[in-house]
Amino acid sequence: MPVCSLLGWAGRSLQGAEVDYNRDVKPLLQQHCTGCHGVKRQRGDLRLDSRAALLKGGSRGPAVVAGKSAESRLIQAVTQEDPEIAMPPEGEPLSAEAIQVLRDWIDQGAQGPADEVVGRRELPWSFRPVQRPELPSSPASIDALLEAQRARQDLAGLGFSSEADRVTQIRRLYLVMHGLPPTPAEVEEFRQDTLPGAYERLVERVLASPRYGERWARHWLDIARFAESNGFETNRVRANAWPYRDYVIEAFNIDKPYDQFVREQVAGDALRADAGTGFLVAGAYDLVKSPDINLSLMQRQDELADIINTTGTAFLGLTLGCARCHDHKFDPVSQRDYYAMQGVFAGVNFAPRPLPRERSQQSDEEVARLGKQVRQQEERLAALRARAAGNPDPAGKLRPAVNARRNEDTFPPVTATAVRFTIRATNASEPCLDELEVFDTSGKNVALASAGAKPSANGTLPGYEIHKLEHLNDGQVGNNRSWISNTAGKGWVRIDFPSPVTISRVVWGRDRNQQFGDRVATDYTLEVLLEGETWREVSSSADRAPFGPEDPKAFLKRLNQEEATEAGRLLDQVADAHRRIGELTGGFSAWLGTFSQPQEVHRLHRGDHTLPREVVHPGGLEVFGDLAMSPDEPEQQRRLKLANWLASRDNPLTPRVMVNRIWHYIFGTGLVETPSDFGGNGVPPTHPELLDWLADEFVHSGWSVKHVQRLILSTRAFRQSSAPRPEGLRADAASSLLWRYPPRRLEAEAIRDCILASSGVLDVSMGGPGFFLQKVEVDNVYRYFPKEEFGPPEFRRMVYLNRIRQEQDPVFGSFDCPSGNQVTPKRARSNTPLQALNLFNSPFILQQAGFLAQRLRKEVGEETAEQVRLAFQLTVARRPDEFELEASQQMIREHGLEAFCRALFNTSEFLFLF
Amino acid sequence: MPVSPAAQMLLDRRGLLSQSATALGGMALAHLLRRDGLLAGEPERDDERTPIRPKIDPANPNNRREPHFPAKAKQVLMIFNAGACSHLDTFDYKPELIARHGEPLPGGEKLVTFQGAQGALTKSPWGFHPRGECGKMISDLVPRLGALADDLCFIHSLTGKTNTHGPGENFMNTGFTLDGFPSVGAWTTYALGSENENLPAFVAIPDPRGAPQSSGNCWNPGFLPAAFQGTDFNATRPVRNLARPQAIQAATDLATREFIGRLNRHHLGRFPGDSELAARISSYELAARMQLSVPEVSDLSSEPQHVLQAYGADAVGDGTQQTKAGYARNCILARRLLEQGVRFVQLFNGAYQVGGEGTSNWDGHKILEKQYTIHGEIFDQPTAALLADLKQRGLLQHTLVVWCTEFGRMPTFQAGANGRDHNPSGFTGWLAGAGVRAPFSYGATDDFGYRAVENIATVYDFHATILHLLGLNHERLSYYHNGIERRLTDVHGHVIHDVVV
Repeated sequence: MPVCSLLGWAGRSLQGAEVDYNRDVKPLLQQHCTGCHGVKRQRGDLRLDSRAALLKGGSRGPAVVAGKSAESRLIQAVTQEDPEIAMPPEGEPLSAEAIQVLRDWIDQGAQGPADEVVGRRELPWSFRPVQRPELPSSPASIDALLEAQRARQDLAGLGFSSEADRVTQIRRLYLVMHGLPPTPAEVEEFRQDTLPGAYERLVERVLASPRYGERWARHWLDIARFAESNGFETNRVRANAWPYRDYVIEAFNIDKPYDQFVREQVAGDALRADAGTGFLVAGAYDLVKSPDINLSLMQRQDELADIINTTGTAFLGLTLGCARCHDHKFDPVSQRDYYAMQGVFAGVNFAPRPLPRERSQQSDEEVARLGKQVRQQEERLAALRARAAGNPDPAGKLRPAVNARRNEDTFPPVTATAVRFTIRATNASEPCLDELEVFDTSGKNVALASAGAKPSANGTLPGYEIHKLEHLNDGQVGNNRSWISNTAGKGWVRIDFPSPVTISRVVWGRDRNQQFGDRVATDYTLEVLLEGETWREVSSSADRAPFGPEDPKAFLKRLNQEEATEAGRLLDQVADAHRRIGELTGGFSAWLGTFSQPQEVHRLHRGDHTLPREVVHPGGLEVFGDLAMSPDEPEQQRRLKLANWLASRDNPLTPRVMVNRIWHYIFGTGLVETPSDFGGNGVPPTHPELLDWLADEFVHSGWSVKHVQRLILSTRAFRQSSAPRPEGLRADAASSLLWRYPPRRLEAEAIRDCILASSGVLDVSMGGPGFFLQKVEVDNVYRYFPKEEFGPPEFRRMVYLNRIRQEQDPVFGSFDCPSGNQVTPKRARSNTPLQALNLFNSPFILQQAGFLAQRLRKEVGEETAEQVRLAFQLTVARRPDEFELEASQQMIREHGLEAFCRALFNTSEFLFLF
Repeated sequence: MPVSPAAQMLLDRRGLLSQSATALGGMALAHLLRRDGLLAGEPERDDERTPIRPKIDPANPNNRREPHFPAKAKQVLMIFNAGACSHLDTFDYKPELIARHGEPLPGGEKLVTFQGAQGALTKSPWGFHPRGECGKMISDLVPRLGALADDLCFIHSLTGKTNTHGPGENFMNTGFTLDGFPSVGAWTTYALGSENENLPAFVAIPDPRGAPQSSGNCWNPGFLPAAFQGTDFNATRPVRNLARPQAIQAATDLATREFIGRLNRHHLGRFPGDSELAARISSYELAARMQLSVPEVSDLSSEPQHVLQAYGADAVGDGTQQTKAGYARNCILARRLLEQGVRFVQLFNGAYQVGGEGTSNWDGHKILEKQYTIHGEIFDQPTAALLADLKQRGLLQHTLVVWCTEFGRMPTFQAGANGRDHNPSGFTGWLAGAGVRAPFSYGATDDFGYRAVENIATVYDFHATILHLLGLNHERLSYYHNGIERRLTDVHGHVIHDVVV
């Protein structure tokens, strides 16, 4: 504390002496208060580091009421009269003199300078607005900025290396942009294209190829921690996750504006881009649920953390997950921000959702027509079923057994005020009903909440957003909109109608989406409440066959032949119509998440779900301002508002992070070396001006990824040689100043794809369900065994591999291939003996070597020199030199063509990008 | 495999180091390390909190590295009983549980555990007897291990964070309940490399019945470079793609390798000083050495009959005896690997769930006595023989043995069943060997064995202690990934100094 202010108090201890804000008050506040109520922290949303802030106050109202010290909370706090708000919470209380100074200042009107400078925490570089150096939209600008940075470090003399030869350029371009080698014909064409603009034309061709989207989608899938099994112990195949993968491939291929790409992955359901939300739920998901509420809450917190972390990492390059337990140590992200973000995602469930297709008027009309037809046919079937129910089973057989999906109980019409469904046993665990429908004699479901019906039950399994009583009659089916009893094997539900209705049929199920087969009521009674308050049993499981597989045509046996034929035909037609409607509306259920209105979110002390603190309303990062969400903002709007902010032009992080990723995948290292940490703990950019220039160029091109790539690919930096120069290595071994193009090992996927392309068996068919490199043994817990034999289904590009968490592909998994469990913005590049063994000895490699040998024989015959020339062109895009030609021919002569081909797949040059 | 003198000099470790001494090679190396996040850079201040990222030689990433401080143990054998092995039927003796057999768990009326409601307190079907000189009470389910009580250091107060198997296995093996984090073995080899460069530095030996429930996640490198991945094989299933393919003649195989070497060295001439390319070439030479040394270490035919007998590897008979023989052979393999200087050996007893709950592992929910009779028979003799053998051969002097499982089990039987539900609130693990205080028992659960109440220890503490015995500071050993300086112990963990000599 400055001495003068000490003197100031001493000289003014008399009550009423004039108090000066800057001289007397501010130092006191700085000494005692602003540590918790200042720039860095704002406990209770309160800052005490400016006069304006004192008057504004915090969550409990103003701290200071000018002229009224007794009413000012600041005084109430520091005098510690009220233990609730006694301040400071630790250490020595303020002295009586100090408190008097504050009182006097307030009572004298709480005056202060108008021009008080309010302290602001300095924002990390990446949070500040993008500042574009004024250079034109041209590759030369990139080169100029690279040169400028070298000059700044007194290394201008390094310059760029000379332009790489054409073969090197085309191979590099193809490997970087397609992850595949150029064909010998493509190489030849480029070599011979001596007209100006040959390279630019080549870049355009490369960007226009569908192979481009496949390559760059794989990068994005690393960031989206995408894999196609659930992970954890059950690790079941997620066979319906591929639409998201196809969505990403298409997004790159059509150069979908990146802002739109971002928005659709967070809120695609609101933007007619449903497949995008596969991003939210692409991570691992623990399928093992338990009645233990603590476990359920912890699992849910982990699920939401996964979504928040991935969103923060992927789009903002921020480690938001750090704020789950405490305010971020390095970045202006508070724990409150984390839980505000949790409020945005709290309605996201890890579950499949029907993927709607594009519709036309024609298809809509057909759907309507089919729907009407099905309704009529179902009515007739219901009548036939009712008749069958009244007839004795000729074989004395029972009604069909219950099934998990959908069950009907029909009975003679009866007028009732309520129905009661009592469950005495299930096939496993507490019973679950996804919907209870009660139909009146006109075929209308009178049990719907929207029709005024009220549900009640013995109890509901606590703690599950997806299992609630109100789901029983909300008109929505499936596990995620279901009720589960709180008692194992038992329970009852009841539905009261607003007025008496004449009913004849009840339909119920456990999961009409057919995901779950447990919790099925196998022993039950259905009763109706008659006017006069007596219950009458109308149906039960007593006359059903024992629980087992269902035969939908079982009731035909109880009909006469004519009716049975009619019912059989109707059933077939209904099934056909459902199939067709499915085709037209996209009944396919894809792993895209489902959404429900979330409950309140609490800040969790130390991230511990057993220590909930205050309610936090949904929102974004406070440092960037308010996203204008109300506490009860509709679920979809929450995500949409966040998405719009993420993808807004004013957000400085989103474009910087993405152009840096592009740079990273083209040059092997980003301008920011930590592509997913643009915060205070990350590495600052090596070329800040270049990064901002690219970010601005990106936004102004309409967020065109291809535009940025086109610019970078045409730079001298990209087209130069990768050969080392001693003075370059001496000054900048990392080549981060790009005095050469940095060589590096290819990724697992590129290596496998290049092998298939060279051997000639690559299948370039795109999209749809992926292929497996393991045999899958289906059980409660799935098990995987590496395939030893491979055929055409396994010859697609590796982006279509159904990647199984924890179970890496036995050949290429060891090449630092991410498992999809954690976000991988930057792969390690190991060179290990296991990799060598896999590439040298695996059945896959031997088979491919055989294919390559066959191809060589087929294309150039038995002449070894020609075989060697073509083999080099196919694998490393160039012709062999004298030494290589000689050594290779000798190898073929002595050990055969297959052995030579096996060797080529193991050469450094084949496995590396230069 | 013969290499040219020039390549030999480049690739030989000393060669590489001397080359690194030149500015050019050294900087290229530094670049490579930095790029892979393996070089911390010179710390601005070397205080007690600065992260330590070991310096990895890319051409030989498993080169031996120095610990942070003098280590008690150089190698680790980690035995993991999959399925959650009950502490109450093995090592945690609770007289009060026996006395109050059949009574309700006090305060447990409304308790809901993993599978639901609880029945009455139930004593172990196995009696407990004093074992060893120390008289430690250990159950009749594991009598031979019990006989070694004087060498064991029990931690009876372990607590976990989850009560499901997958996350529980992840937690014990990687320090995180979620998938995708590096395993203890990966962290160890990342820090210390290996004593034997002709064998994998980190070997995971799955049970003869199959992989554990979290499968490869138990030995995966997570985000660490693939060089630190556990290589999984056991006495019956060799390393994948290790052997020369049958269709290839030995002479052709050798010639092919030489040919690759020639092409690679020829190519390297155009990129002098490129460490990543040199590392690639070196990886093939290591692979060739592994092709010789792994079959050798895996070949148990040289083991004398009395050793096979002692381990139970000669067991014949029904499925249980066959599994026991298989597990015993895995135990012998573990010893042979440790003898050869493999840094970290992870040995699994029990596999994923197959054939119904608890039949292939220690998950005894419904018919615990029947299941554990089988598992005890398979586990006890071979494990005890392994421990005794390590001791007799002097390996325990520098090998840390860790026994653990995902969590414990309830002192009650489940309502309507004859087995115990999951219980992460208090369970037992033990240590033996280098640097470990034994005989000793640390911490305790309550009278019934339900909750840890004395010297409560977390899995983080357990991991911190393992690293400490290896001479590693668990708060400093780190790897930068996705914006975070990652540690095995996350932001937790205290070394349990009481169990260290």
